[in-house]
Amino acid sequence: MAIELGWVGLGIMGQPMAANLLRAGHRLRVHARRSVCSDPLAALGATVCGSPAQVAQGAQVIFTMVSDTADVEAVIFGTGGVAQGAAAGSVVVDMSTISPVATRDMAARLAERGVDMVDAPVSGGQIGAVNATLSIMAGARVEVFERVLPLLQVLGRNIVHIGANGAGQVAKACNQIVAAVTLEAVAEGLALARDNGVDPARVREALLGGFAWSKVLEIHGQRIISRDFQPGFKARLHRKDLRIVLETAAQLDIALPQSALVAQHLNALVGQGFGEEDSSALVKVIEAATGRGPGVAS
Amino acid sequence: MKLGFIGLGAMGEPMALNLLQGGHELHLWARRPEAAAALVAAGAAVCTTPAQVGERADVVFTMVTTGSDVEQVVLGPEGLVHGFRAGAVLVDCSTIAPETTRRVAAGLAARGIHMLDAPVSGGEPGAREGTLSIMVGGPQAVFEELRPLLGLLGKTLVYIGEAGAGQVAKAANQLNLVVTIQAVAEAFAFAEANGVNFRPVWQALTQGFAGSRMLEIVGSRMMEGQFDAGIDARLHRKDAHIVLECATQSRSYVPAAALAAQTFNALMARGQRRWDSAATRLVLEGLSGLGRRPSPPAA
Repeated sequence: MAIELGWVGLGIMGQPMAANLLRAGHRLRVHARRSVCSDPLAALGATVCGSPAQVAQGAQVIFTMVSDTADVEAVIFGTGGVAQGAAAGSVVVDMSTISPVATRDMAARLAERGVDMVDAPVSGGQIGAVNATLSIMAGARVEVFERVLPLLQVLGRNIVHIGANGAGQVAKACNQIVAAVTLEAVAEGLALARDNGVDPARVREALLGGFAWSKVLEIHGQRIISRDFQPGFKARLHRKDLRIVLETAAQLDIALPQSALVAQHLNALVGQGFGEEDSSALVKVIEAATGRGPGVAS
Repeated sequence: MKLGFIGLGAMGEPMALNLLQGGHELHLWARRPEAAAALVAAGAAVCTTPAQVGERADVVFTMVTTGSDVEQVVLGPEGLVHGFRAGAVLVDCSTIAPETTRRVAAGLAARGIHMLDAPVSGGEPGAREGTLSIMVGGPQAVFEELRPLLGLLGKTLVYIGEAGAGQVAKAANQLNLVVTIQAVAEAFAFAEANGVNFRPVWQALTQGFAGSRMLEIVGSRMMEGQFDAGIDARLHRKDAHIVLECATQSRSYVPAAALAAQTFNALMARGQRRWDSAATRLVLEGLSGLGRRPSPPAA
């Protein structure tokens, strides 16, 4: 059944996701800071609005997909924000990757206005967004989750209700820890192989058959070997996600030594000017420490 | 001169007293009025809001805990800014993020008010004796003008650079401290795990190239198991995270500080927030399983 939806944030992820909702037959009101981002959706039939508040007016479910915690706060609670237009009984589904602590706070503030919130961060990158194969980790009351589930099924495949508000962001933080620390391990392992004069491609192939198998070894390992650092998932965004992880760890008094080190390697990578490359470019930091690398005499 | 002081904690109170004893008129504001009692007895006047301190004083010192405390006291609804006259000076001695300092300085500059960031090192003894190290950022002419006042608080006054530069120097200072504390705690747990008493190790190390003030002070507290005096670990934790925030913004690589911050996080979780940072020893020992081992490992 077609319903009235809203979408705020039409970047590399948001644009194809919003397009999938339109193609599923829903009516969609959209807003983006730059009109160049909303033009392709207008061509597909979306109504372009001047502010997030206007997007929310008349929409039963409003999606947000922006960069960082402060952006979500501005889009929802800022001047002309979603909260100013959203009717009681509507639902805000935030698909950005942001702080779980801030998410709980925003959900409570929306609840005061009779508006429900779902945190639904995604994993799967731009390809997953285009092909509607994203993994979606949701935090919400179960009846709210069930209400928006048919819409999430338009956007992704592996949709898991993790728990209450903020739980989706916690799951995403866990995802980023495992992905980042594994990436560091893969990059170090392949660097060790190469510096020993051993073909890293064969090492990868052997490891894929054993306990060290991982999707990161498979995909990012290949990118490291073929020096293909086209994003993918940009290093600067991975750095942002780890910053959220470590801020949350500090708020909750948790020690995460490996995440802390990888975050420093991502600082170094971005500092060396590779923030726009895929995060598998992390191997460059390991190489820079010794001055060794492909094509560099060791 | 007519001076103001806000933030009468373990550091602020003796610093304010030194200004008063330097012969200056002193106006105070404290969240809890009882915190001002000792200074009032020594001749200081109490105000009802930070804004009132700003009205009465030409130079106001702040010494509070966090960046948001500084923003609140300076730019908040009853903040200093609403009382300050053009030409007044704010000297913020708190340890906060350089970015916050730059924001507050810009907010004040728009109204013709100067700001120095002047974080200190030297702890409570340094504050009492007026022997602090003070690292100063802001307009150099203002620093030179206030040098005599700062001289009442500290012995080593170093002008570092523009607004925020003092806080960058302090962050570098704290980076050194937290990493050294981690190193001393590791050395302690390492010696004990190897069945070697740390006391003679410590005596040897303090005389060699590994000697440092932190090894002397924190190392001795670790040996004595004396965790109830000194600097609250929660403050070192806060400082470590200021370093990391600053490193993120400047895209610098500070792996050792990042690890040390995690040890402090773990210490907080053990409920030892107000203990001295020497208690990091317990985190390192715990992770090595010391205390649960039946006997030292065979060589």
